[in-house]
Amino acid sequence: MSDVTDLPAPQGDPTEGPAIALRGLGKRFGDLIAVKGIDLDVPRGSFFGLVGPNGAGKTTTLSMVTGLLRPDAGQAFVLGRDVWADPVATKRLIGVLPDGLKVFDRLTGLQLITYAGLLRGMPRELASERAAELVAALGLTEAQGKLVVDYSAGMTKKVTLASALVHGPRVLVLDEPFEAVDPISAATIRRILAGFVESGGTVVLSSHVMDLVERICTHVAVISDGLVLAAGELDDVRGDRSLEERFVDLVGGSTEVVGLSWLRTSSD
Amino acid sequence: MVAHLVRLKLTLLRNIFRRSRAQAIGAVVGIVYFAVLVAGLAVILASFRGSLDAARVVIPLAGAAGIVLWTVVPLFSFGSDPTLDPGRFATFAVPHRDLTIGLVAAALVGLPAIASMVLSVGVVVAWSHTLASTLVAVVATAIGLLTAITTSRWVSAVMTQAISSRRGRDVIAVLGLLLLVVIGPAISVVANLGASLRDVATTAAVVVGWSPLGWAWAAPGDVAAGDLGTGLVRLALAAGLLVVVFLLWSRVLREEVDNPRAVSRSDSGTSSGDDLGLLARLPGSPLGAVAARVLTYWRRDPRYQISMAMTPVVPLALLIPFVTGDVAWTPLLMGPLVAFLLGWSEHNAVAYESDALWLHVASGTSGRDDRRGRLLPDLLLAAVLVPVYVVVGVAVADRWDLLPTALGLSVCLLGAGYAVSSVMSVVLPYPVAESGESPFNAPPGAAGITIAAQSMASLGTLLLASPTILLAWWAWQGSVAAGWGAGIVGVLLGIVVGIVGVGVGARLYEQRAPELLSALRRS
Repeated sequence: MSDVTDLPAPQGDPTEGPAIALRGLGKRFGDLIAVKGIDLDVPRGSFFGLVGPNGAGKTTTLSMVTGLLRPDAGQAFVLGRDVWADPVATKRLIGVLPDGLKVFDRLTGLQLITYAGLLRGMPRELASERAAELVAALGLTEAQGKLVVDYSAGMTKKVTLASALVHGPRVLVLDEPFEAVDPISAATIRRILAGFVESGGTVVLSSHVMDLVERICTHVAVISDGLVLAAGELDDVRGDRSLEERFVDLVGGSTEVVGLSWLRTSSD
Repeated sequence: MVAHLVRLKLTLLRNIFRRSRAQAIGAVVGIVYFAVLVAGLAVILASFRGSLDAARVVIPLAGAAGIVLWTVVPLFSFGSDPTLDPGRFATFAVPHRDLTIGLVAAALVGLPAIASMVLSVGVVVAWSHTLASTLVAVVATAIGLLTAITTSRWVSAVMTQAISSRRGRDVIAVLGLLLLVVIGPAISVVANLGASLRDVATTAAVVVGWSPLGWAWAAPGDVAAGDLGTGLVRLALAAGLLVVVFLLWSRVLREEVDNPRAVSRSDSGTSSGDDLGLLARLPGSPLGAVAARVLTYWRRDPRYQISMAMTPVVPLALLIPFVTGDVAWTPLLMGPLVAFLLGWSEHNAVAYESDALWLHVASGTSGRDDRRGRLLPDLLLAAVLVPVYVVVGVAVADRWDLLPTALGLSVCLLGAGYAVSSVMSVVLPYPVAESGESPFNAPPGAAGITIAAQSMASLGTLLLASPTILLAWWAWQGSVAAGWGAGIVGVLLGIVVGIVGVGVGARLYEQRAPELLSALRRS
């Protein structure tokens, strides 16, 4: 964690300043330094895309923002509150969709969303009302009485997203929200998220689908190997090229295919 | 393909020795110990060559018992071998016939099978009176052994499937109860026979010899005694049985490979549409929600059902020594035992949820809500089971003077168990069968930590409850004061220790929730 810079923590009124601020955030797993001291500001009301190759540290970073993984260095602020100094108050503001974690899949879809609301301390009537509304909005009405274990991957994603929305968070942190989701549901989710941003909320999502990020995000950060390579408004980051070209440029990988001649059927 | 599976099994066997040095030494000591034991038994079996009459009684009974052991033991103690779980081969497009034979062949490579083969050699020696009897013995013993192994595979596959459907669970529960009802009287009958044991054994050997379990083991005896016809009939029946069992195994295997997720499907559809189930019936607070969710899981997840089914049944075993012998004190422990089991069984509760716990962490659920919510369903169950078993136990033993003692001891063990469990499920979660896997699966390589953690939980509970245990002991020795003392101290100590322990667990949870989540993800 050599390159931890000394940006000051966001001060004062939580109603101003960035929605999420990371200061020298770092995480080490044994010999592997997954996140090498990230500084990043996510402006309020932005639709923020976090892109990077596999293993870049996206999930690790987002987990440290949402209070699921304790950082080894640095701080994370959400709406001016230190996530790790005051987790209870901060977590109230965040809605979380993690990637690759199980859910309580022996509950029905409707039960799972209501459960998430109740855990947040919502009154039952409000929680179940909102759960029903979310189920309808995400097109899960027919499956609401089925156990989540019997859902497809895309449906599980949607019901988990609904669980992240039920308590009315101010900031949404979504890890790969569109993975395995069909195009129609993806459009629905995009519209829900766009409405959320319009009304003053902030969305941070990770993805490695550049097209999608380019289409829906206002801001973007490229991270690779645990470092932020570029961050800012979408147009500033990509310049006059496509995000994908810029991304390949930044990350520096080669897209040349070496070998695999046996895969070309014409070589028979 | 068959060779592949056998090689896979050999690799797994070799890997027993590739863990830590301590574990390898433990394994070697264990294997040497059992090798000596098995060799001794084989020699004893072989020595029956000297008395054909005795052999015709002992060997069919031993053989039938062997088949039963092969079938039952893996289900209850070690978990069916998950590395050779048929469902795992679903994606590999292995020809059905190869898989059917291969899995049985692989089972022949395990240590239990090797032990059985050594014993079988002893059996063959015992029958080697004439050339014909030796030949029949070789064939029949091989058939018997294969029948045992195939039956074992078949039954664990069927059980895995049955446990996943409500109806199957009901059937198993009824069968289990029947077995329990029968065991007590059966043991007492056998125990009371005493002197006439020899006659009983002889009769039993005749009956068993004509039952499917005994055909293969009795056939060589007939031939050795000169009754070639009967021997061949039994041999034919045994061969037929092997074919039938093999076909049954083959059919179940096909179902399981075609539909490997069947285990994870349970009662989907029982909940109708917009019904919130228990979430609507318990208090609408985080604590109530956690409790309702745990209760829902008890109903829907086979892994919980196993322990739910076992907990009320185990204390009944204490009635056996009482009924069969003159042991007067065991029923008194029924209440304390069920209380101990209920408290202790929560010591790894979080591990069963695996990393779904993230929802609690991300929601900022308080430690108190998490810990208490988890224990509430168990406490509800205890509120029913503990008083019932305490009263029943005291009534059976006819020691109403010890009622306060038994009650105090039970409450104390329950509270101590909750204290230990609240802390241990945060600090030391250990791997369990994954959700959707067969509840009979034991995660490979986790035996050491499992045993260590379970022993720690037991010792911790007993230690916290030790003042009450001592008082209860004095009460049993005859001290009236100690009897009441155990009652009062037990209830107070149980409540205090329980509340303090759950509080400590809650504090630890709040400090370590992210670390707990990481530990659950790794395991």
